[in-house]
Amino acid sequence: MINLLQAPPDVPLRIAGIHGGHGIRRRLIAMGFHKGDTIELDSLGILRGPVLVRNLTSDTSVALGRGIAQRIIVEIIGEKK
Amino acid sequence: MAKKNRHPDVVFIGQPNCGKSTLFNAVAGLKADTSNFPGTSIKHTHSKVNIEGSIVNIIDLPGTYSLNPSDPAEKVALSHLFHEKPDLVINVVDASILGRSLELTLELMELNYPMIIALNMIDLAKKKGVEIDIKKLEELLGVPVIPTIATRGQGIKEMLEAALQSLEKRLPASPIKWSRDVEQRVEELSNLLPEDFPLVYNKRFTAIHMIEANRLFFDKVLREINPKLKENLDRVRRELEEMHSAPAYEVISAERHHLALKIFEESSRVFRGKRVKFQDRLDDVIMHPFLGYIILLAVFFGFFFIIFKVGSPLEELLLEPLASLRNSLMLKLGANVFSYLIDGLLAGIGGGVAIVLPYFVPLILLMSFLEDVGYLARAGFLMDTFMHRIGLHGKSVSPFILGFGCNVPAIVSTRILESRRDRIITSLLIPFIPCSARTTIILALVAFYLGPVWAFGFYTFNILLIAVLGRVISLFFRTPSPGLILEIPSLKMPSLKNMLKKTIFQMKSFIKFAWPILIAGSIVLGFLQYLHIDRFINLVLSPLVEKGLGLPQELGVTLVFGFLRKELSLLMMLQALGVNYKDLMTVITKEQLLVFTVFINFFIPCLSTVALLWKEMGRRIALLSVGLNTGVAVILSLIARWILGK
Repeated sequence: MINLLQAPPDVPLRIAGIHGGHGIRRRLIAMGFHKGDTIELDSLGILRGPVLVRNLTSDTSVALGRGIAQRIIVEIIGEKK
Repeated sequence: MAKKNRHPDVVFIGQPNCGKSTLFNAVAGLKADTSNFPGTSIKHTHSKVNIEGSIVNIIDLPGTYSLNPSDPAEKVALSHLFHEKPDLVINVVDASILGRSLELTLELMELNYPMIIALNMIDLAKKKGVEIDIKKLEELLGVPVIPTIATRGQGIKEMLEAALQSLEKRLPASPIKWSRDVEQRVEELSNLLPEDFPLVYNKRFTAIHMIEANRLFFDKVLREINPKLKENLDRVRRELEEMHSAPAYEVISAERHHLALKIFEESSRVFRGKRVKFQDRLDDVIMHPFLGYIILLAVFFGFFFIIFKVGSPLEELLLEPLASLRNSLMLKLGANVFSYLIDGLLAGIGGGVAIVLPYFVPLILLMSFLEDVGYLARAGFLMDTFMHRIGLHGKSVSPFILGFGCNVPAIVSTRILESRRDRIITSLLIPFIPCSARTTIILALVAFYLGPVWAFGFYTFNILLIAVLGRVISLFFRTPSPGLILEIPSLKMPSLKNMLKKTIFQMKSFIKFAWPILIAGSIVLGFLQYLHIDRFINLVLSPLVEKGLGLPQELGVTLVFGFLRKELSLLMMLQALGVNYKDLMTVITKEQLLVFTVFINFFIPCLSTVALLWKEMGRRIALLSVGLNTGVAVILSLIARWILGK
């Protein structure tokens, strides 16, 4: 288990859990980030910027700040394409 | 909308970026009005439309991801939905991300209102390789589903027909059951609700939302009024949590999530097309850590270049007849009170048409283009990287971008920020963002007389200044900001019709609200000039204006009036100096022009912005903002004079 910031880009990942307070969890859930969903890290911004995450389950893209990304715990479930 | 009339109310609701407003505008045409929700400054758009002989009230609610909102803006929209019972709900759904969009649909169905679904952007779904079986979807949901492409006006007639039918039948949507163990608990709790309990819609919906509700707030109230019910609620939550080893509200939303995905899978087939790859590749370039910024700069530069190239010839064309009209009138009438007033009137009307509109219209048009394509969100993503470095954070990006159009809605939109720290910093910075009025001034003065490169430089400096100010202001706050969660919608081909509609809509509101102030201001200045009161104001301000900034004394009065509305400073400047636009450079120097623009640009944006800040953030923040803007304007224009004077 690693957090989203430690995950390599373009590799399918499964959301194992979300750490953090109600506010952040609810917001992520409302935008379609649920435990068990398959996601992929698209690219890392320069200057320690936000990360772009594709949710393959709901087919949406969301930009997440590093603080938020750190709280999403994922496991690698596939190979780099 | 506050008062009930006999026309049925039809509410449009959907998740952000689903094309809801485009669809709404296609139905409402240009007659739509915006007004505030009672007691708030959050706007909603509504209109009366005639559908085959029946008059219907249509209401556009702000986009919301769920009925369990986390930001204040969403909450206001929803509490409206909770209080005024609509006769029909039109749920606009983004067909290209059906799986997620259905989560809101399932929530809406729990309300038991008559409902139809506008399955929008069906063309984009096809391009993405998603083929939806409409009949099957209708069957699974038990609600009419109408495919639409709002940007091209497709499916709108069918949607309205379905709406009329539903209004006649008044069949309430009925929620789809969840897995048995969860459903059982919900049922149990709803049966325990006493008869006199303040229900929201129906017992089931109330029970669900009690389980989902934010503990801290709701539980305290319930413990006071009905301790027994509170015990049961706690037990139900505990049981759900033990069974699923997750917080109760997550269990409920997971139910909706799985149900939505199941319905999506049963009604759709997904083929991975080539178009997706192309889109993805385009996005890879647009949001590339290096190329992305070059594109951002190019877009930014191109944006102003186009506005200037369109605006300045148009401006010249329109100014000529206005100037000669004023000259000949002055000659005919001579110098009396009447001629001063008429001249003020002409300056106000003409200035609005000839100086403001030539830049304003292309600006709004391009802005809506960038918005409709989906570039604004991407610019937000790219700029966030930069903003984080200087003490800001990503969620403020969208209020900032809105600020380039107008500061007033930008300040309202800071409600999407959950923490007060973020709201204060963002609200203090927004008044420094050059809104369309100030962009017009920069273009009409700096770009027109000194060249577009100067205007671009001015703009770049302005943005750097905001960054530095942000850094400085955030030093006063110790708590860190929560962080960015921003959806990046897929890139879309914008429709010209929709862009034009938005532009005309904005133009109408300019004519309705800004123009009267411009005209009235010009007439008042004409009157003051006749009575020589302007000289008194100028004299009072002359230590700053003449000694400090090195500007002609006559400009003092324009700085005061600019507080009402920014364009007014521009029009009055000409009026006060007694010259026509084209002859401006004969009375002031380039340096003075720049110093004047610097002062005007960074000074308090306008009365409406300050009034709104006062209302939204309180007196302290409003006064702080006024002080900050005045201080920065004075200091920067003094520095500008010092540098240019060398």
